[in-house]
Order: sequence, then C-alpha cells, then structure tokens
Amino acid sequence: MTNTAQTIDPALYAAVTDAIRAEAKKVLEAGAAAAVVGWQAGRRQGTAMPAIITDPAKVAELIFSPACVNNLALYLSKAKKEIRARGRIAIVVKGCDLKALVGLMGENQLKREDLHVIGVVCAGVQRAGAAKDIPLSEETIAGKCRECTVHTPEGADVTVGTLPDLPHFTPVESEELSRLEAMTPAQRWSFWKEHFARCIRCYACRQVCPFCYCEQCLCDRNRPQAVETTPRPAGNMAWHIVRAMHLAGRCAGCAECERVCPMDIPLNLLNRKMAKELKELYGHEAGFEVKEKGPLAQYREDDDQSFIK
Amino acid sequence: MSRIGVFVCHCGENIARTVDVEKVAAEAARLPGVAYATDYKYMCSDPGQNLLKNAVAEHRLDGIVVAACSPRMHEKTFRNAAKSAGLNPFLCEMANIREHCSWVHEDRDEATAKASDIVAMMVARVKKDKRLVPITVPVTKRALVIGGGIAGIQAALDIADAGHQVVLVEREPSIGGHMAQLSETFPTLDCSQCIMTPKMVDAANHPNITLHTYSEIESVDGYIGNFQITVRKKARSVIEEKCTGCGVCSAKCPQKKIPNAFDKNLGTRPAIYVPFPQAVPNTPVIDRANCTWFKTGKCGVCQKVCGPGAIDYEQEDRLIVEPVGAIVVATGFELYSITEKPKGSPIKGYGEFGHGTIPDVIDGLTFERLASASGPTGGKILRPSDGREPKQVVFVQCVGSRAREKGISYCSKICCMYTAKHTMLYKHKVHDGQAYVFFMDARTPGKSYDEFWRRAIEEEEAVYIRGMVSRLYQKGDKIVVMGSDVHVGVQVEIEADLVVLATAVQPRAGADTLAQKLGISYDSYHFYSEAHAKLKPVECATAGIYLAGACQGPKDIPDTVSQASAAAAKVMTLFAKDELEREPIVAKVNEKNCVACLYCKKVCPYGAVEEKEIRDRQGNLIRVVAYVNPGVCGGCGTCQASCPSKSVELDGYTDEQIMAMIEAL
Ligand SMILES: Cc1cc2nc3c(=O)[nH]c(=O)nc-3n(C[C@H](O)[C@H](O)[C@H](O)COP(=O)(O)OP(=O)(O)OC[C@H]3O[C@@H](n4cnc5c(N)ncnc54)[C@H](O)[C@@H]3O)c2cc1C
Ligand code: SF4
Ligand code: SF4
Ligand code: SF4
Ligand code: SF4
Repeated sequence: MTNTAQTIDPALYAAVTDAIRAEAKKVLEAGAAAAVVGWQAGRRQGTAMPAIITDPAKVAELIFSPACVNNLALYLSKAKKEIRARGRIAIVVKGCDLKALVGLMGENQLKREDLHVIGVVCAGVQRAGAAKDIPLSEETIAGKCRECTVHTPEGADVTVGTLPDLPHFTPVESEELSRLEAMTPAQRWSFWKEHFARCIRCYACRQVCPFCYCEQCLCDRNRPQAVETTPRPAGNMAWHIVRAMHLAGRCAGCAECERVCPMDIPLNLLNRKMAKELKELYGHEAGFEVKEKGPLAQYREDDDQSFIK
Repeated sequence: MSRIGVFVCHCGENIARTVDVEKVAAEAARLPGVAYATDYKYMCSDPGQNLLKNAVAEHRLDGIVVAACSPRMHEKTFRNAAKSAGLNPFLCEMANIREHCSWVHEDRDEATAKASDIVAMMVARVKKDKRLVPITVPVTKRALVIGGGIAGIQAALDIADAGHQVVLVEREPSIGGHMAQLSETFPTLDCSQCIMTPKMVDAANHPNITLHTYSEIESVDGYIGNFQITVRKKARSVIEEKCTGCGVCSAKCPQKKIPNAFDKNLGTRPAIYVPFPQAVPNTPVIDRANCTWFKTGKCGVCQKVCGPGAIDYEQEDRLIVEPVGAIVVATGFELYSITEKPKGSPIKGYGEFGHGTIPDVIDGLTFERLASASGPTGGKILRPSDGREPKQVVFVQCVGSRAREKGISYCSKICCMYTAKHTMLYKHKVHDGQAYVFFMDARTPGKSYDEFWRRAIEEEEAVYIRGMVSRLYQKGDKIVVMGSDVHVGVQVEIEADLVVLATAVQPRAGADTLAQKLGISYDSYHFYSEAHAKLKPVECATAGIYLAGACQGPKDIPDTVSQASAAAAKVMTLFAKDELEREPIVAKVNEKNCVACLYCKKVCPYGAVEEKEIRDRQGNLIRVVAYVNPGVCGGCGTCQASCPSKSVELDGYTDEQIMAMIEAL
C-alpha cells in the first residue's frame, strides 16, 4: 500500500468515533458492561482525555482522534481501580493498548471474561508537543506509530474502522536504536548516565505505566532501602535499572512513560532495547498472547546461556 | 541492644593456619551489639560446645555467630548446642571462614581481614534473626529405587523387608544390570547368575515391591517425605498381566538376526524378545524398530501364536504417578568405548587401538559374555572374528582410566581385579593358552583381593608386564600388540589372537539429565555427588535422595551391595518417624504489599505458592494475594528474587538482613 499524500486521512478517526459510540450504546443498554472506558474531548481544542461512561445517553461524549494517546489499560490495572468493582467493563483500545491488556491478563491482573474489548483501527497518534487538529504527518506523528505493527488490533470483541493507505514515515525509533547499538559499552553507559542524571524522580513514568501496578514500589521502600529516593545520580541510575528490568518482557511499547516524562528522557528507547534482547534471546514478544510464564519467569534447557561467562 | 556472642574456631590448623583467629575474635568483640567474643581450637568438640553453652548463660547472649566451617557441615551441631543452652536455635548462625576463606586464600593478612568481614556480616544478620519454630510434615512411607542392577535390587529388598512399599524402576526390559552379564565373580569365582538371579526373582515376587521395567523417570516433584514421581512405562507391545512367559512368540518371530545387546552383539535375538533366558520379568518386549509389523504393517505372527492374547501392537506409553517419601538412585555405570568420540566430547577414543574396528579387540564385558555358561558361545572362549579358540590373549588394563590425555583421570577400581579373574577363567577354559597382562599398577586392596591377584600369576601362570600398550594393529589373523616393559626397560611386541581391554567405568549416558530432574549434583564426569565424601557417603545434598552403586563412582559388587544396604538403612531411618521436622526457613508473603502478579508462583520450583483470597467479614472479596505453603516451600528464595514489589521473603534471609549484611562490609 503506497500513499502519495503526505498525511493520514482524518476520515478514519471520524468513522471510528461513530462506531465506538454505537458499540458503547449497545453494550450499556444491553447491560453487557457497567461502564465504557474510552476517550473524550479535552478542555483545550484538539486534545483528548480518558473518559468513563456509564450512562448510554452520554455515549456521544466518546471520541477517537490522533490526540487519543492515553493507554487506557492503566484504568484497569491501577488508576480508578474502583470502576472495576462495578462489574464487566468495556474498554476502547488501540493495538498497542491491547498488548498491555494481554500482558495484564498473563499477570493475573485481569480476566478476559470480565472485559468487553472494543478494538479500534488506529493509523497513528500525535507525538508530544505536536500541533493539534491537523492531519497527522511526518511532522506530527508519534515515533512509535511510524513503525507500528498493530494498526489493527487482534482478539478484541469487536474491531472498528478500516485502515487507510499510510504514507511512508521515517523510522526514527529504529534509527535511534541502531545509533544506540553502534555505541561502545562505555559510550552507552555515559549516554544513559547523562540522561538519567536529569531525572527528577517525579515518577510520572511509573504512574502512567499499566505494568507498574505495585501497591508499594520497591523504590519507595525505606526498610530496607534498596534505591536511594532523592534525585541524585546513583539513586537515579538504580531506579532506571529497576524500571528497565521490571518491564523487560512485559512492556507493551505504548511509550506512555516517554510521553509523560517532563525531562525528555528516552525511556521507550530503553524499553525497546530490552524487548529486542528478549526477542533475540528467547523469541519472546510481549502482548500477543496470554502467556502463563514469560521468558524471565521460566527456565528451559535450551535457553541461551552464552552470556554466562 | 543485642547481646551477640561470637565464637571463632581454629578448626585445628584448618582455619588458624591462614587466619589470625585471635585477631578476628578481638575485632568481633568491638562490633556494636557483640557482648562476648572468643576463639577456640575445635568449636564442634564437646568442650567447644560447652564453651558456647556456658557463654550463653554467663553473658546472657541473645544471638550467636560461630565463625567456623560451612553451615552444611555443622550448622545443625551449633544450633542444637544453642537450643540446649535455652536459645532459639535459629538465632545461631555460621560465618563460613573455612571453605569461603582459609581454604581458598594464602595471604594471612588478607584472609584475616576477610574473615573479620564475614563475621561482621553474620553479626549484622543475626541481630535481625527471628525466633523460628520447626515445621512438621507427614512422611509418605514408600520408597522409589531408580535402576534395577544389584545396587537397586539390594536396596529395594532391604527396604521392602523392613515392611515398606518400594517402587523399583528399571529402564531395560529386565532387571539385573551388569551383574546379570557377568560369568564368575571375583574374589571367590562364584557364578554371577547363581547369586544374582535368585535376588532378581525375590525382588519381583516381593509383596512390597512394585516393579516397573522398561520404564523411566519422567518427572520428579515435591521434597523429602513427599515426592511425586511420574514414571513413563514405555510401550512393551505385550500386556504384562496376560503374558505367561511361554516364549512361543519369540520362537516363531521371523526376525531372528537382530544383534543382542545383552550379549554385546555376539549373539542374535528375535524382534519380540527377552534379553536373556533368566530375565525378570520373563515378559518379552517388541523392539519396534526391527519388527516387521511395525515396519511394514504385515506379519502379526506373534499375535496369532500367543495363547493368552497378550500382544498389543497399539499399546502406548503410560504415565504413572507414584507418591514416595524417599528415593534411592542406583543407575550404575557403562563402559568407556574406544571408538571415535563425538566432536567436543572431553573424552577421547583410542585411534592407536583402531577405534574399535578390529573385531578381536574386545572389552571386558564382552569377555564376560564369552566366558559365561549362558552366553552366546555356551561358555567357550572363541574369537568373534572366526570362532577359533585364541591361544595367546593379551589383556590391557587402564584403558581410558587414569589417562588424563584421554579425558579421564580417575581409577576405575574394578579392572585390576576382573582382569586377574579373566586370566584365570581363560586358563580354566583354554589349558594350553597363555594370558599376558599389560598393567600400570595392581590395585588390589580388599578382603582376599591381593591373594586373588597373586593366584592369577603364581598358580594360573598369567604373565604380567608392567607397562603401557602404545599401539594395536591387525596383521593377518593376529593382532600385534606393541608395548613397553618398564621393569626390564624394553619394547615388547606380542602377536595375540585376542585382545581384551579393561575400559574405564563411566556413568550412564544421560546421568546428568536424570540428576537435573532429581535436583541432585554430579561431578564433571557425571558421577552423582554424595553430600560429604567421608561422613555422608550415601546421602545426596538434596534431602531424601540417596545413592547406591556405581552411579556414584566405580565400585565392585561387595562395595555396591554395602552401599545399597546403607542407603536402605537411611531410608528406613527416615521412615521410622511419622512426621518429619523441617527447617522453618520458608518464604512468607507480605499480604499488604502483594499485588498478586503471581510471579512467585510461576518461578517456584517446589510448587509451594498458591492464590489466597482475602475477604471481609461479609465474605466480600477484597483482594487476592499469594500464599506460600510452608510444608511445601523448599526455602530456595527464588520467589524473593523474582517478586517485583519485594512482597515475599525468606525467614532468615529477609531483604533487611541481606542489606544489613552488605552495610556491615
Ligand atoms: C567386565 C566387568 C567384570 C566385573 N566383574 C566383577 C566381579 O567379578 N566381581 C565384582 O564384585 N564386580 C565385578 N564387576 C563390577 C560390577 O559389575 C558392578 O559393581 C555392579 O554391576 C554395579 O552395580 P550397579 O547396580 O551399581 O550398576 P549396574 O549393574 O550398571 O545397574 C544399573 C541398572 O540401572 C539401570 N538404569 C540406568 N539408568 C537408568 C535410568 N535412568 N532409569 C532407570 N534405570 C536405569 C540399568 O539399566 C541397570 O539395570 C565387573 C564389572 C565389569 C565391567
Ligand atoms: S517521568 Fe522522567 S523525570 Fe519523572 S521519574 Fe520518570 S524518568 Fe524521571
Ligand atoms: S518499578 Fe517495579 S516495583 Fe516499582 S511499581 Fe514498577 S513494577 Fe512495581
Ligand atoms: S511476586 Fe510478589 S507481588 Fe507478585 S504475587 Fe508473589 S508476592 Fe505478590
Ligand atoms: S522460597 Fe519461594 S520459590 Fe523457593 S520454594 Fe519457597 S515459595 Fe517457592
């Protein structure tokens, strides 16, 4: 599929919006779900924010647009936990968000039968700080969407939308990863050291991550203290190593952490590197099937051992 | 403030030689919370233990660190001493300054400093130790014996005679192992079959023994007192319950020319066969790879002739689960082969001996089959190549053994004796024949062993040549043996009719795979490791698993049988109690922080983790958390390492303790 135009046709988003509203109305009226988790328009023009709709009369508030960046899986793993107590929940997900849901199911946090999954075909969302309300282009599309392999989510209860022809975008994420991999270990170390040194330990990345659902993060513990809590280089490095290791093999790649980081730390680059390692070492890709055991939770005799020196 | 007592042991010279024990004690005395510190020559001795007990009373100690050997060695000893002094035994810890320090270092100052560090770490740990109470678990009084050679049979019979149920699992169609293949046995030359077959029959008929032949261990779960064993009963194609052992099937099978491995391929057998006439059970098995029915779908002769209708071509492997409380591993050995070894194998073959291509160069076991009255030649010594009686036989000892360049440095222990036996058996059968033996040393410790060897030389006229054989090659119908006689200092060349190699005793191929299933350790050759070379020679480091016979190291029959009975005695000791006391070093979940991701459950090798629902008084589900069953937990700590939120911890090894230890450095 080639697209001579340089932008993504906004018709898709409009069509998906209509389909979401229709499906939401249907499930709420039929009592098949107690609430629908989706997106609604934000207060400022061209923005969007999460929405929880329980009244079928209000489904028109739901939208889908390139501003619908939030990974709503978060709303089922920890944020607004109370909504889960209401019963079966319908949730609108993009392909990348669905990967998070699948991961959470494998970690005993969600049950498939408790969810009604409305998958949306997504051609891409905006990068942070992009100009709003214009068709997505090389200028405005998020890095992760340029090389997305899950435009059409698989395994949802309903999937709405048809993928239009997409323009070719520069694969900035792969390029970034190759640059990282081309570095010597010493260069890589100083690359991360410099980035992590800027971290202010606001924990926005943790807050937004659907997989950081621990009630008390080990990095907040003080008896014993495993990770220094003040934003100083050693503690920052420790926090980021913990974060990378805890997400290895689990991270869905939604890049929400990177989006929310006020210090522009390339967190998803680290996530992607870990994901690549796991794929190369164990043939594992997170988020495509509910796995009883991920690669880091099991030992197989044919596991690659060459890294043990 | 804690009142910790530190006791630094000299271990005779073992520790004191490299570690300044007085200095370690003096430095320990200055650590905060240490109320008393001293050193003593042998802490584990009676006066040493009394020293500890008195100090507890005198200095009102509330924690103890014994700086000595590995906890594997004496932790129990000192915990018992602490207990008798009125202290909770789990408030007593070992600082290993022997295996981890004095034995591995040479520099006295550095070793002393390290010993002090180790002590400081253990003091930090002990301060945060909790009073723990042992856990009791019921014992399943049934034993599993793996391997039905003489070792397995003896162990099974002993345990069964003590009144306990035994499950005996043998890989081959018949029990018996190597001993069933032997002709006559040193040092008394009694016929192996005559002493072995009655034991095989006893084992099969014993009301307390369940025999699974042609079976292997599929998986092992559980722990001491409570193992769950899955046995794979391979498809025999013969229904054991129906077969009467009449043998009509084997007699009528049109496939007759399959080499019989039991006879070292000297004889042949049909496709439906028992490996040897005295096999137990006397139930044949179909060798599917060579059976016409399985190859072409035609034939079916055995099914037609079998009166009781025992043949079942459709039979499949069956998995049987056996709950047992103890396991005896008795999987025996196999002989080194001089053939070319696969690339990368640390063990090498003997190209200079023709890599096994010279037909009249055989190994000891083949000679046993030739000499056996029930063997393929009816007990006549005949050459495999042309069936002639050899008049000059050269025996070569230490083939593969004690040969570091071939990959094995140990002594196979039995070859000196069986080679002496072979020369005698040969002389008894071929009166005008001459036996030569190339040997490095004659190692004949053992009751009546040296006398036996001397008899081979003095009465049976075997010529012993001290030296090695450098090359063997075929010349006409002779084999030229080129060697050296180091006594005389000359090269020797003998034209032999038959050459018998005493090849090294090795563990079974696949011994490592079984060990991994059982969770027991093995050495670099894959012989199974005992828990302690001197004091625990039949126990594995894994509780509830015991070793018998050649799987642990080369052994002759008397040693094998002794070890088998010893292993059986250990099993009986275990079964003497209804309940087992287990160390309370088990994991506990902090239910407040656990988020029920169940990583712990996924990684727990013991299957100890379950899900637990927390409900309010009205019965509403509040949350789900992980729960560790203390009876099942093996205390490995894997869950603790994998829990992302650090909500599960091992008692005695809490994160707080580990951190305190690191900080003490
Ligand atoms: C040529 C020769 C001559 C000898 N002559 C004498 C002698 O005269 N006197 C003397 O005292 N000793 C003699 N020996 C030594 C004697 O053979 C051994 O001491 C004895 O056989 C050791 O018994 P075992 O039960 O430990 O092993 P084995 O006899 O090897 O029996 C092991 C059994 O375990 C089974 N097994 C293996 N792996 C598995 C598995 N994974 N699952 C289930 N079953 C398994 C095997 O099939 C076998 O039946 C001789 C040895 C050789 C090689
Ligand atoms: S969001 Fe950015 S600044 Fe905040 S903790 Fe995460 S990496 Fe650090
Ligand atoms: S970083 Fe690890 S411990 Fe902290 S919240 Fe995330 S997953 Fe939990
Ligand atoms: S790994 Fe930790 S958080 Fe997860 S279920 Fe187990 S104890 Fe709970
Ligand atoms: S310590 Fe943890 S992983 Fe190990 S056996 Fe106990 S519960 Fe299982």
